[in-house]
Amino acid sequence: MMRRAPWAMAAALALVGFLSHAQQAPAGYSASSLYNTANAYARANQPGLAVLNYERALLLEPNDPDIAANLRHVRLASGLPPESRTGFERAARSLNPRILAWAGIAGLALAGAAVLARRAYPGHRRKLLAAAAAGFLVLGVALANAWALWPALHEAVVVAHAAPLRVSPVALEESKVSLPEATIVRAGAEHDGFVLVQVPGGRTGWVPEADLAALLPKPRQPRLGGR
Amino acid sequence: MRMPSRLLHWMVPVVALQMFAAGSALGALGSVDATIEPQQIEMGESARLTILTSGSGTLSPTLPVVAGLEFRVVGTSRQIQFINGATIESTSTIIRVTPEEPGVFTIPGPTPKSPPLVLRVNPGNGAGSLSSPGGGPPGLLPGATTANGIRLTADGSAFVRLETPKHEIYVGESVPVEIQVGMRDGFVASINGLPKLNNNDFTLNNLSRQPERAQRVIDRNPFTVYTWHSNLAAVKPGTYKLTFEAPLTVKIRARPKSDSMLDDLLGDPFMQNFFAATIPKEVTVVSPEAGFTVLPLPTEGKPRDFDGAVGSFKISTDVSSAKTTAGDPLTLRLHVNGAGNFDRVESTVLGADGQWKTYAPKAVFKPADPTGFRGEKIFEQPLIATQPGIRTVPPLSFSYFDPSTRRYETAHSSPLNVTVAPAPDSTANEPPPPATAGTQADAAHGGLQPDHAAGEARVDSLVPLYFQPRFLSVPGALALLFVGAWAALRRREIDRQHARERARSQTIRELLTRMAAAAAAGDAALFFNAAHSVLRQALSARWQVEPEHIGSAEVEARLEGADRSGILEIFALADEANYSGHLLRATDFERWTEIVRQQLADETPA
Repeated sequence: MMRRAPWAMAAALALVGFLSHAQQAPAGYSASSLYNTANAYARANQPGLAVLNYERALLLEPNDPDIAANLRHVRLASGLPPESRTGFERAARSLNPRILAWAGIAGLALAGAAVLARRAYPGHRRKLLAAAAAGFLVLGVALANAWALWPALHEAVVVAHAAPLRVSPVALEESKVSLPEATIVRAGAEHDGFVLVQVPGGRTGWVPEADLAALLPKPRQPRLGGR
Repeated sequence: MRMPSRLLHWMVPVVALQMFAAGSALGALGSVDATIEPQQIEMGESARLTILTSGSGTLSPTLPVVAGLEFRVVGTSRQIQFINGATIESTSTIIRVTPEEPGVFTIPGPTPKSPPLVLRVNPGNGAGSLSSPGGGPPGLLPGATTANGIRLTADGSAFVRLETPKHEIYVGESVPVEIQVGMRDGFVASINGLPKLNNNDFTLNNLSRQPERAQRVIDRNPFTVYTWHSNLAAVKPGTYKLTFEAPLTVKIRARPKSDSMLDDLLGDPFMQNFFAATIPKEVTVVSPEAGFTVLPLPTEGKPRDFDGAVGSFKISTDVSSAKTTAGDPLTLRLHVNGAGNFDRVESTVLGADGQWKTYAPKAVFKPADPTGFRGEKIFEQPLIATQPGIRTVPPLSFSYFDPSTRRYETAHSSPLNVTVAPAPDSTANEPPPPATAGTQADAAHGGLQPDHAAGEARVDSLVPLYFQPRFLSVPGALALLFVGAWAALRRREIDRQHARERARSQTIRELLTRMAAAAAAGDAALFFNAAHSVLRQALSARWQVEPEHIGSAEVEARLEGADRSGILEIFALADEANYSGHLLRATDFERWTEIVRQQLADETPA
């Protein structure tokens, strides 16, 4: 009885995960709607919100040339340099993360099954070894993609015309540095309406929370008391 | 408060006597000038004769005598200046000149060397340049025109003036103009609005929000002059006359003209205000007419890319970086410097080019003066190099009409070389993909690619799947599954191995017992058969092969030294004992038993 418990737990977890994804609500985000929203902001001369929505659209459709072109255009028009990414980041983020995530799952399944089969069927060791290597390769690509996307969890875009960068989370003194609109920063700690950010040059400071928009919006809270 | 008329009648002769008494000292003055304003009036109006004396002597102007004109001194003012230790006095005497009949009158100068003054008096009543809903305010002095083109209102309290560098312009040409509104200190209460252009065939662009303020003396009266700067442009050819107007609130005297003699004598707004003799009145002051000839732009020699720019311009270009990577954007900047109608300065910068993917430019204007007549317009155009190598941004051109040369001009820039490195990935070497099918770049909004049609699947979170807990449960479950399976397989193998070991140990124990019994009985065949079996079991465990597969050839291949010879000898004796019935001594059994035990000891861990 005790030996069967891990199997039952794993099966239950897999079932819950699959069902939860299969029942995703139709309402939400799509690359085209985010892209169109960004275009609207760009036309309204609000580059911060435009860049925010272009970046969000790129998370869903990283290979869409229109999104990349408009993002580049808005950044240029705002006086910001084009986004500089390393070769690894470019390669890792050029793949659709949604497809790659499921491909990683398939790779994990293939590799695991091949490793297990190698023990059960020693006569097919080479073929199973190749299958395991292929599975691990796909899994590695997915993990690299996840690694490249990890910073996005903490990125935010300056949506105010000029966000003052302060040395402390207080508004008593005038800020000598301000971040131009549409700048992408790495957001950290929060305190009393201010967010500790790191700008691309490495400089850190506190920016009013209202001047920033997180690249990944906070998940919607479930309704309490609703049916 | 009104001044008694008998006091007024008493003061007039006193002042006149004082003026005549001072006449003897005229020769000691430095200079004497006289002006009359206006030089042309109508019957019922008065002109103002001003005699300005300066020097160190005593004031003594003499009232002229001209038939048909009445002269009356209405005020004097004196200023004393100390310049390099010397005292210089200047005195203004204002004399009111009232015609008794129309005609052209010559008024002799104040000194024999002074030129005479001419006053033309027309019959009938004419309107002054000051207009108000109720007609001209009572008690105002008539208007006059100065030599600078300034025409004061009838009461001399204000003026509006247009100052322009030229009166012949081309359609679309911007001309910097100044609109001056002068207000005599103490006579005008306020300006009630911006100056307004009274001609629909012209446009007034970039009128400065805040006027410049300056103090000026006009006709020896202090004025505060407000100056607005603007650009005047004509919309169609022809000959036009322009006027400007400004709404003002002036202070006018509330008493009848007959009772205003004291005010004329004093001529001082302070005194007027002191006696509360004025009331505010809103009036509109109009400037003298300014004639303009508007010429059409010539059709001959008009360049194809002419877009309406009129003025004098120069252009230059630069790029954000002389080195780039294929697929990375550059910024091409076209600088248009000069003076003219910058609102018509347009450029597509770089058009479609095989070497470059171009986007619609964005223009920024940096004015060098308050009206934007001079400045620099910068067009910024994003470019993307499509191919690596040394690429050239071709020279750009800009056409305009130069009013000074009266012909079209085309300015050219120099070509720019850009070194384009290959893109890190192969796709960057290919030309960027075109816009979505059926769409073009949104040129109206700075080259944005057009919107996409909605309809694709939506997700409820932008967080990548890798970091969503629900998704992570899937690989987590899979990993748990595989670890569990691997552990189960491993456990099953171990169990099987243990079972085999137990069976083998049991077999070996039985065989050893059989060996001992055979040795005790002296049965060599049985002994070596058992020893053979024991060694097979031991070696099969060591080499992980079945006992039946272990023979002399296997031992020779896998073993070396004394072990190999001993085992091979036992295998050979077993065969010999089975088939020859050879008898061995007891000591021989012990020796062979020791060899077998030695192999078992090697097999069993210490």
